[in-house]
Amino acid sequence: MRGIRTCFGAACIHEDLDLDVRPGEILALVGASGCGKSVLLREMILLAHPTAGRVLLFGEEAQDLDETGANRLRRRIGITFQHGALFNSLTVAENIAVPLKEQTRLPAQRIRDIAMLKLLLVGLPPDAASKYPSQLSGGMHKRAALARALAMDPDLLILDEPGTGLDPVGAGALDDLILGLHQSLGVTVVMSTHDLDSLWRVADRVAFLGRRRILATGTPAELSAREEPELMAFFQGPRGSARSRAWNRG
Amino acid sequence: MPPPRPEALDPGHGQAKPINGPRLLWSPDGGTLVVSGHWTTLTLAGLGAMPPRPDLRSPHGRMTAGPAAEASASPPLAEPLTVHWDPSSAVPMDMPPTRATTVTLDGRGLMALDTAGALQLHRLTEAIALQGMAVQLSGFAAPHLSLLALVRERLAAAAEGLAAIPPPSRPPVLERVGRGSWDWLLQSLGLLSFVGETALAFLRVLAHPGRLRWRQILQVVELDGWRALPVLGMLSFLVGVVIAYQSGVQLRLYGGNLYVVDLVTLTVLRELGPLMTAIVVAGRSGSAYAAQIGTMMVTDEIDALRSIGVSPLELLVLPKALGLILALPLLTVFANLAAVIGGMVMSALMLDLVPETFIRRIPEAVTLNTLMTGLAKAPVFAAAIAIVGCYQGFLVRDGADSVGRHTTTSVVQAIVWVIVIDAAFSVVYSKLGI
Repeated sequence: MRGIRTCFGAACIHEDLDLDVRPGEILALVGASGCGKSVLLREMILLAHPTAGRVLLFGEEAQDLDETGANRLRRRIGITFQHGALFNSLTVAENIAVPLKEQTRLPAQRIRDIAMLKLLLVGLPPDAASKYPSQLSGGMHKRAALARALAMDPDLLILDEPGTGLDPVGAGALDDLILGLHQSLGVTVVMSTHDLDSLWRVADRVAFLGRRRILATGTPAELSAREEPELMAFFQGPRGSARSRAWNRG
Repeated sequence: MPPPRPEALDPGHGQAKPINGPRLLWSPDGGTLVVSGHWTTLTLAGLGAMPPRPDLRSPHGRMTAGPAAEASASPPLAEPLTVHWDPSSAVPMDMPPTRATTVTLDGRGLMALDTAGALQLHRLTEAIALQGMAVQLSGFAAPHLSLLALVRERLAAAAEGLAAIPPPSRPPVLERVGRGSWDWLLQSLGLLSFVGETALAFLRVLAHPGRLRWRQILQVVELDGWRALPVLGMLSFLVGVVIAYQSGVQLRLYGGNLYVVDLVTLTVLRELGPLMTAIVVAGRSGSAYAAQIGTMMVTDEIDALRSIGVSPLELLVLPKALGLILALPLLTVFANLAAVIGGMVMSALMLDLVPETFIRRIPEAVTLNTLMTGLAKAPVFAAAIAIVGCYQGFLVRDGADSVGRHTTTSVVQAIVWVIVIDAAFSVVYSKLGI
C-alpha cells in the first residue's frame, strides 16, 4: 500500500501511509484502539476505498478494479472479521461452503467434503459441522470463521483481531492454530491485534500504526527496543514490559 | 519459516496465460499414475484456464509414464489420454487392466497443490486402495507431501466422528406436520401467557401509578398515531370513494341516490374505519415493535435491562400497548372522517348529491351509537396489535434472519387477530341486537 490517506469527513485517520506485506510472512498490525487498523485491513481487501493512494494486491493495481476484477482478487484472500461474522442462519459446514458454492461450480458432494476438511484443519470436531453459530463457544466461533476464510485456499489470510474475547488458553490455542496453518499451508497472514502475547508468539514482523502512518516495522524484539513514545508505551507499559522480560528470559 | 509455496494461480485466470488444470495419466501397465498440473480449489472447479478436454476414447495407444510425464507440464492439446476423468467429479478410475499390486503416484509434474487438491488426491488413493492395491507416493515435493500427510492425518483422526454424522435428510412428512403443530401450540400458549404477564404488569403499574412511563406513552402516540395520519387519511379517503362508487352504481338504478349516505356512513363507522385503521397500524407499528424488541434480544439489550432491574414488560411493552390504546381510537375517528369525506366527494361527482344534502342526511342514517360501536373495537385492536408485535419480538433468537421472520409473523398474526376480534364483535353485537 502506498501513500494511503483515509478521511471520514474532516477527520483523517491515515496520512501518507505505506505498508508492504511480504509473501509467506505473518505480519501483525498493532496500534491504539481507533487508529484505523480495521479500516486499513478493509482497504487491503477492497471493501473500503482510501481517499487517496494506491493499493497493490499480488502485484496488481487494485483500487481501480471494477467489481468483477475485485472479486477475482478477493478469491485469493480469506478474511475473518472482528466479531466472526458467520452467517447465523447457516450451519458451520454451510458457512464454510458458502465461498465454494458461490465462487466455484464444484458438485455439492465435493464441496461438503472440502468444507469438512477445512473444519478439521482448524481443529473443530466433526460434529460441529451441523451446529449453528449461536451454539458455538467463542473459541469455536473464531475457528469456524477461520475455516470459512480458508475455504478457497487463499494465498493471503487477513485476520481482524483474531484473539479478542477469548480466554488466555483459548487465545493461545488460536495462536498455535494460526502458526500451524501458516506452516502447513504456506499462507501469508496479516493480522491486527491488541494481544501482546500473540504478537510475540506468532508474528514474523510487526507494523506499528500511530500518528496516522506506520511508525515502525520490524520483528517484535526490534520494535520493543525502539525509542518512540508510542512504541515505548505499547511495549514498555506495565503489560508490555512483563511480556518482553519473559521473552528475553527465553 | 514455512517452505515457500509454489505460486498457485495466475491472477488473471482465463485472460492471461493459461494454467494447466489437474491432470492424471496412467502408465500402460497400470502400475504408475502420473499426477501433474495445478491441483487447487480454483483449477479443480474449472476456474483456472483449463486446456480443452481431449477426446477420451482416442484409439491411439496410451501415453507412457515416467520421463515423458515431465513433458506433460505443458502437453499438446490433442494428446491422447487414457484417464477418463472429469476433474469436478469425485474420483477417476477407469484403470487399465493390470496385475500390479502397487500403484505408484508420480508427483514430479505436480506444480501446485492446496488443501482441496490434497483432499482430491487423498480420495484418489483411497479409491485405489479399495481396489486392493497399495499406493506409493514418489517424486512429490516436500511441501506437497507434508500437505498430503496433514490431510490424511486430520481425516484419520476424525474418522470416528465423521462416521457418526448422519447423512443429511429431510424428516418424513408426518414428523414435520407433528413438529409444526407442536410449535404452533406452544406459540399460542406462549402468546396467552404473554397476555397474562402484560396484564399483571399493568396491574402492578396501576398500584404504583408513578411508575407509568408517560414519556414513552406519548412518544408512541406521536410515532404511531400522529405520524400515521397522512397515509391513513389517504387510504380512508380512497376507501370512502370506492364504497360510494360501488353502492352508487346500484342505487342509481333504483333512483335511491340519497341512500348512498346510509351505506357509506354505516359501513365506514361500524366496520371499515376501525378495521382499516387497525390494519394500517399493524403494518406500520406492529412490525416496528417486533423488529425493535427482536434486535434488542439479539444484542442482549433485553438481558441488560433485566440485569439493571428494569422489567422489559414495563419499559417496552406497556407504554406501547397503552400508547396504542390511546392512539387507535383517535386514528379511527380521523379515518372515519376521511372516508366519509371521500364518499361525499364521490357522491357529488357521480350522483350529483351536493355535500349539503349529504351532510343533512347523516344524522338520519346513523346515530352516535353507530359511531361508538365502531370505536369500541379500536382499543381491543390496539392491545392485540401491540401485544402480538412485542411477543414476536421476544421470540427472536440469535440473528438477523430470525428478526425478519418474526417481524413478518407479527404483521400476519396481528392482522389475523384484528379480523378475528372484529368477527367476535359482530357476533356479540348481533346477540345484543345493537
